[in-house]
Amino acid sequence: MIRFPTSYELAIAGPDEQLRAGGTDWMERRELGLTSANVVDLRDVEAADPIEVDPSTGARLGANLTIATIARHPAIRMHYPALALAAGALATPEIRTVATLGGGLLQRSRCWYYRNPTLRCLKSGGSECLARTGDHLFHVCFDLGPCAAPNPSTLGMALLGYDARIEVVGGRDRTVAELYGDGSSVADHQLLAGEVLSAVHLPPPVVGERGGYRRAIARARAEWPLIEVSTRLQITEGKLALVRVAIGGVAPIPLRLDEVEAALLGQGIDDATLERAAALSTRRCTPLPMTRYKVDMLPTAVFDALCHARDS
Amino acid sequence: MTNDERVRVEFQLDGGAQALAVGADDTALAVLREHCGRTGTKLGCGHGVCGACAVLVDGESVKTCLLPATALHRRSVTTVEGLAQADRLHPIQRAFMAEDALQCGYCTPGFLIRSASFVDQWRREQGDVAPSRDTIAAALAGHLCRCGAYEQIFAAVASACTGVHDSMDPVVPRYDARVKVEGKAVYTVDVKLAGQLEGRMLRSPHAHAKVVVLDLERARQRPGVKAVLDLRGADAMVRYAGQEIAAVAAIDRHTAEAALRDIEIRYEVFPAAIGMERALADGAALVYPRRSERKLAPNTSEGPLGPLGWTGNLRGPFFFFSVKRRKARAAIERARAGAGTLVEGIWETQVQCHTALEPNAAVARWDDDGGLSVWVSTQAVHRMSHDIATRFGLPQAKVRVFADYVGGGFGGKADFAPSTRAAIELAKLAGAPVRVVLDRREELTVGGLRPAQKFDLALAANEAGELAGMRLTAWGDAGVAIGSVTSSMFRIMYKRAPRDLSDYDVTTHGPPGKPFRGPGGPPAFWALEQAIDQMAIARTIDPVALRRSWDDSPVRTRLYDWVETLDAWTQRGPIAADKGRYRRGVGLAAGGWFYFVQSATKVEVALGPQGVIASTASQDMGNGTRTAIANAVARHFTISPHAVEVRIGDSRLVEGPFSGGSRTTASVVPAADDGAIRLRELLTKAVAAKLGLRQARGEASGIVHADGVLGWAEAFAVAPECSVVGKRVKDQGGFFLPFRVEGLAIGRFLAGSVQVVELEVDTRLGKIRPLRTWAGIGCGRLISPELARSQLQGGIIQGLSYALYEERRLDPRTGQLLTGSLDDYRIAGIGDIPEIHTHFDEAGFEDVRSGTVGLGELVTLAPAACVGNAVMHATGWRPLTLPIRPDRLVEAMKATSQ
Repeated sequence: MIRFPTSYELAIAGPDEQLRAGGTDWMERRELGLTSANVVDLRDVEAADPIEVDPSTGARLGANLTIATIARHPAIRMHYPALALAAGALATPEIRTVATLGGGLLQRSRCWYYRNPTLRCLKSGGSECLARTGDHLFHVCFDLGPCAAPNPSTLGMALLGYDARIEVVGGRDRTVAELYGDGSSVADHQLLAGEVLSAVHLPPPVVGERGGYRRAIARARAEWPLIEVSTRLQITEGKLALVRVAIGGVAPIPLRLDEVEAALLGQGIDDATLERAAALSTRRCTPLPMTRYKVDMLPTAVFDALCHARDS
Repeated sequence: MTNDERVRVEFQLDGGAQALAVGADDTALAVLREHCGRTGTKLGCGHGVCGACAVLVDGESVKTCLLPATALHRRSVTTVEGLAQADRLHPIQRAFMAEDALQCGYCTPGFLIRSASFVDQWRREQGDVAPSRDTIAAALAGHLCRCGAYEQIFAAVASACTGVHDSMDPVVPRYDARVKVEGKAVYTVDVKLAGQLEGRMLRSPHAHAKVVVLDLERARQRPGVKAVLDLRGADAMVRYAGQEIAAVAAIDRHTAEAALRDIEIRYEVFPAAIGMERALADGAALVYPRRSERKLAPNTSEGPLGPLGWTGNLRGPFFFFSVKRRKARAAIERARAGAGTLVEGIWETQVQCHTALEPNAAVARWDDDGGLSVWVSTQAVHRMSHDIATRFGLPQAKVRVFADYVGGGFGGKADFAPSTRAAIELAKLAGAPVRVVLDRREELTVGGLRPAQKFDLALAANEAGELAGMRLTAWGDAGVAIGSVTSSMFRIMYKRAPRDLSDYDVTTHGPPGKPFRGPGGPPAFWALEQAIDQMAIARTIDPVALRRSWDDSPVRTRLYDWVETLDAWTQRGPIAADKGRYRRGVGLAAGGWFYFVQSATKVEVALGPQGVIASTASQDMGNGTRTAIANAVARHFTISPHAVEVRIGDSRLVEGPFSGGSRTTASVVPAADDGAIRLRELLTKAVAAKLGLRQARGEASGIVHADGVLGWAEAFAVAPECSVVGKRVKDQGGFFLPFRVEGLAIGRFLAGSVQVVELEVDTRLGKIRPLRTWAGIGCGRLISPELARSQLQGGIIQGLSYALYEERRLDPRTGQLLTGSLDDYRIAGIGDIPEIHTHFDEAGFEDVRSGTVGLGELVTLAPAACVGNAVMHATGWRPLTLPIRPDRLVEAMKATSQ
């Protein structure tokens, strides 16, 4: 079965249904046999409203905006630079052309056990995390729950740094932090069956905000990050008036680094200060045997992303 | 679960209206290829990574392997076939042809689509100027080319942006470039015969098991299923996860896969030995516990296997290539005792997958006359027809194998693959043509791999600074396959000294290795050339000076002269000069490779109604077979190579070479030369007689006679149709051995390479960025200079990719493939490659017929060692294990800073 609802209200999935937006993750999971539900295809849902930024209320981004649209939109680039940078850096140009904001937030794990069509892990109906006792070279170094795979959502990480809220049809609106929970659950996100993510609300823009984004990968581009970092800074008279640091690729959920933020607030922006604060990023790390290198890399990745924002 | 509901979609396709019903799960790619006949658009990876499936949707490049077909509704689609406007090629198509920005051509449609949208937008916004390399790399980040045409793709995109290809018809160095940029080249996966069925295979999830129940009945009963096949061996044993158990042919892929799930199967599962370490541990599960089973082991090499002893999973030693073993060992002990210099270490390399973008694929049809036609994505049409005929007990004349275009091979398509066997047997059972195409996970599992290697290597220099001895123990893990030989590489380099060389196979419960571009080479040179570099450091002498004093190769001696003219090398500075986070390093490595000839090679050269025709039962997997033949023949008549009709990819033509062992050029060019010259003589005689020309003799310019010169165009017009068969005549002085090994003659000369790479190491995030590389190659006269350059660039890129990114990983417990996608099995993208500078030294092969030998394997040997030596130069740390992943580098930097 497939249906093409014309609104998010009509899109609310029944018991044997799943939503499909751009399809860039959905089609692969279907091929791998990871989903057999009937399709609720969002193709005919009305196009999102044009992006407008209001100085007092912020911005509302429709869930079916493509990631490319967000990355190149002048108002997003000006007022929410950390979001625009993250959107422009994830995946590859042609994926960004099709993939949507909503799909990006709700995408499923990239774990090579989850995506193996023969094996069954915690996320695919099995009873144990196979990575934990098997090969977890690319997995978490913040071991927060039963599943050892990092959350793959770059947008979720960036929006966590904005304290963004999601609009949910068929359920209550909630923060991005609530969307992902505390990592103790096996699910990739906490949206319930019958709920539809219809939009993201961004808070009012911060005057003079600078954004940063960095990822650690082996190749130049087109690789799921070992670590990724999104930063927002507001610098007033040489001091940091706002600091937001969110990280991905290291935990079952996107994480905010409160300790780094607190250490920098009100401080100067010289390299030494940023580096000292970045060193705090490993405080809560609980690496697995094969992911200690991520702990070694994390301060540098955070430092780089702080510098990126500072120097932009 | 399949979804049978059909949804109507209407869209514009290449300017025409389309209306059809599609399934909810159908990809846009499947619909375009299977229902709209747009086979120019290719399935590469199937998960949005390689970009071979890109088309323009409303003017924007989109990957159709992940695009629901329903999303095409009311959109406008342009495929590679629609890129040209009324036969007027898009400038990017001309640019790809002019710059030779393609090899096998399989990824080309996707690259063209994305590049076209990028070039058009760039010129609208920026005008007719060339974008930076980085801008182009960012735009093409979602595309992969396994042949490694990236350097020329940069050139093509940049030049298309400047407008130079808007109108001019370019000079096209590659014979078959046009048909590839138009999306008209037909690969095996594109073959569609009347009534063709789709075959799929059931594979074992277990690495070590016995199939105790296999009931195919329910699958056979499923509507739409036409044939079901038991693929178990006589012992019903499973020795690796992914091993073929059964196959089904059905009216479509969904039905075939549903039928696979209908098969009732039970396994008795045994412990498995995954990886070398476990296979050698006490009490390890044995891959071939009984002597009788060992003959089942597939051969990962291209050569014959001799008898060797086995102990558990260990087979060997094979020490054939040793010279004065005792002397070598004594020299090492003397150096160890302080008399001279000893360098020793353990080097390790990973499993590398061939993963050609066109997977292993076959289409089989049994003809009414009892003949068998098989389209195979193969590197060996001629040999394949022989193997198939032998296997099915048919006369070879009854078996016809076709491979018109082959989407990359690299050694992974030389064997009589299970997919080919399944297609043939299913077609027989079903009484209808059957196609079997591996998906990317299958290709990465069983499509072919280079064995993992471990080397314990020691070099001893005496007090006079001479190489006094070499000792090597090498272990190869080719999964269930055997025959991993690397010691030959340690024999052909620095040849003067005694050496004690032993190869062992370690059988493990993993998929079988196949020959991979320079079998044994890149791993061996990774160890050897780093050990040489380390010896230079230990003796504080220049690495080139050391090599000059130990190396007898005249080819490399000239390349050492060349390398010493490079500022990047001579100005490189001391080791570990940089102390900061980013450190630059320059490394050098040398390589040497055999020169092989398929001495029975023939090329038929004929004059037909349209001109000269050259044909041979070989194939072109991107290596340029067609171009080599066309160029060779054309120069004997002073005509354009494009005016020669080249016929290959058909086993019924005269015997042509298997594309492997770098033999193609050295086999076909002399045979083409011989054929062309003999045809010229025949035509001269015939035309002279007909026109009464006196003292006529055929030359490249035409028929020279007493009263002038008759051009070949005029001569062809009056000449009768005729044909000769050119042969591969022996070299001056014959070959290295008087006899042939598996049809192969070994030439008396060795090709050589020297490469320098400059890179930057981020010591904190563990990233290595190759910046520039210079590669010098000695392989004789170039038949197609642009294609030689392309192949050299591609080999370097594959070598760098091997050094830094590629790694097949199996789950340590189940032996299941973890790196089953091109997301997880990483190969170099366009943004990862350094600037590549190429240098060819054409001297030294004058006694070889036509003066030319192959370079396909030679060019992949040095890159990894080069990178290793450059990392050492940058950081003072020598990487011993491949790939040099970020985690390994970070770990090492942490250890060295403490």
